[in-house]
Amino acid sequence: MKKQVLSMQSKKERTGAWQIILISGFLFYMFIPILSTYIFSIATRWDRTIMPEGYTLEFYGKTIEASYFFSSLRNSIILSISTIFVSLLLIVPTTYWVQVRLPKAKPILDILMILPFGIPTVVLALALVQVYNPTPLGHSPFLLIGAVFIYSMPFMYRPISNALNAIDAQTLTEAGQSLGATTAQVLLKVIIPNIFTGIISGSLLVFATVFAEFTLTKLILGARFKTFPLLLVEYTRINGNIAAAFSVISFTIAWLVSILILWVGSKSQGDSAEAMRPR
Amino acid sequence: MSYLELKNVFKSFANNVVVKDFTLDVEKGSLVSFLGPSGCGKTTTLRMIAGFETPDSGIIRLDNGDITQVTPNKRDIGMVFQAYALFPNMTVRQNVAFGLKMKNTPKKELDERVDEVLEMVRLSETARRFPHQLSGGQQQRIALARALAVRPRVLLLDEPLSALDAEVRVALRGEIRRIQSELAITTVYVTHDQEEALSISDKVVVMEGGIIQQVGTPEEIYRSPQTRFVATFIGTANQFFGKVSGKKDVQTTEHCLVIEDLDGFTKGQDVVVLVRPEYIQVFTQQPERSGCNVIPGIVETITFHGAVTRLGVNANNQRIVADINVNETEPVALNQKIWLLFAANACKVMAVGE
Repeated sequence: MKKQVLSMQSKKERTGAWQIILISGFLFYMFIPILSTYIFSIATRWDRTIMPEGYTLEFYGKTIEASYFFSSLRNSIILSISTIFVSLLLIVPTTYWVQVRLPKAKPILDILMILPFGIPTVVLALALVQVYNPTPLGHSPFLLIGAVFIYSMPFMYRPISNALNAIDAQTLTEAGQSLGATTAQVLLKVIIPNIFTGIISGSLLVFATVFAEFTLTKLILGARFKTFPLLLVEYTRINGNIAAAFSVISFTIAWLVSILILWVGSKSQGDSAEAMRPR
Repeated sequence: MSYLELKNVFKSFANNVVVKDFTLDVEKGSLVSFLGPSGCGKTTTLRMIAGFETPDSGIIRLDNGDITQVTPNKRDIGMVFQAYALFPNMTVRQNVAFGLKMKNTPKKELDERVDEVLEMVRLSETARRFPHQLSGGQQQRIALARALAVRPRVLLLDEPLSALDAEVRVALRGEIRRIQSELAITTVYVTHDQEEALSISDKVVVMEGGIIQQVGTPEEIYRSPQTRFVATFIGTANQFFGKVSGKKDVQTTEHCLVIEDLDGFTKGQDVVVLVRPEYIQVFTQQPERSGCNVIPGIVETITFHGAVTRLGVNANNQRIVADINVNETEPVALNQKIWLLFAANACKVMAVGE
């Protein structure tokens, strides 16, 4: 009996040790490159010593002075926000309609929403360019919005689909209709307010994805529409430190967005689960 | 006078016919229950009245107008759902006001009507709360108030009490009946709970397999079931299968039964005799009267039901249940031999196959 307890104890300790090793390995792997980028963006010289020889903020100054800094930041934001709008306009009503009126089509929609993960962005971009090149859409930002919309579709679909599942959209719709509301009124006044947190999460995920998008932008529009990631890549060839500063700015924006998502997520989970719990 | 009328309504889902040739007249101001086991088509019929399903054929009329193809939001029919379906993003007041807002009701009238229905369901004090801050029973009362606020022509209730505790269920069904009578609103109530249906309805529609088995007042349904399904689904009935053997006699393999009236049955016909447990008397000594309608047996189970105690009796390998009133009968023990006796007029005879 005593032996058994002892062996169990040592087993427990072993798992504990493994957990610590695994987690620290993971954290090390995740954070070292990010930390290095942060340090590199404020290092004066860092090629002869283990730690930088000195620290400076001048590279951040240079990012702001870069001729395309604000225009590329603006372009990235325009691209992200336009994509969010297109996604909301197309995905919210479609998902709702399928959920309420065509539940049988839901598995098809689910598969359709995984497809973008399976298509390499290079293939998507080249195919779109080939098809649309002869048309005025060929090299317009609108084609890019369409392309990044497809690419980011799953990020909008998932949270919205989950939110709709959580509220029993079908019964709420019927309740609204029996009270004299049209389907559009039900969608606007009942469904959207109740899946709002899902919409926010989806929008932020799309924002983060599109803000960092490089391949599609480069292949479809190239230099004609310079976004923040394009500028960053350009600077990796000019000055490593400034590129690092660009990366840090990009990370910071992405992280701020992520924190926002987490906050909204935790809030929404509590709210919708609480609101729908039958008592 | 018929107010809500369903005529030869059929509905099937993927080759599975769920409602067959449903014809029913509902009088204005009455409360009609659809009662039956799950899958009997009661909810589908209700949803066709609401407009959420369209019949494959047949007509639904309301106040002499054909509403078969009218969209749900134009029918003026209120509905209360099993899952309450209150809008979680709105307060109680906003929920109740929703239908009135959709109809562009002037603010003053809207406020008055909301106050009125909240008072009717005795929940005025919850107006500012959100649905999740209320108990299940309160939520369902708000759902009822919300449906009533728009003064619908018909009120539909789809198993409104199924998600609630037994105590709340009994209290709330009384409330529903009170409000329904006060407003004299034509109401269709779907339930699988026979006690609920019998206690609050003017008329009960018993359904099975998409077909109406019987329509009648609760008493008619209980006392004069027209089919074997109704007799066994509503309350409990002991069944004795046998053949008509004389003017007033039915012979089963084990027992002989005397029936008050066997008109319409021919000698030798296969019949089933139904006897409710409360019509059976229990004797611990062999009664003086013997022969027909006296069945000896051994007590196998004793179940206490409060007002009565139900005995499960083995009579020559046939199980018979009998209800006894503890005050009026001598104490009975398990495995005791007893005699069951019932009057000729307690027997209900049906041809087998009905």
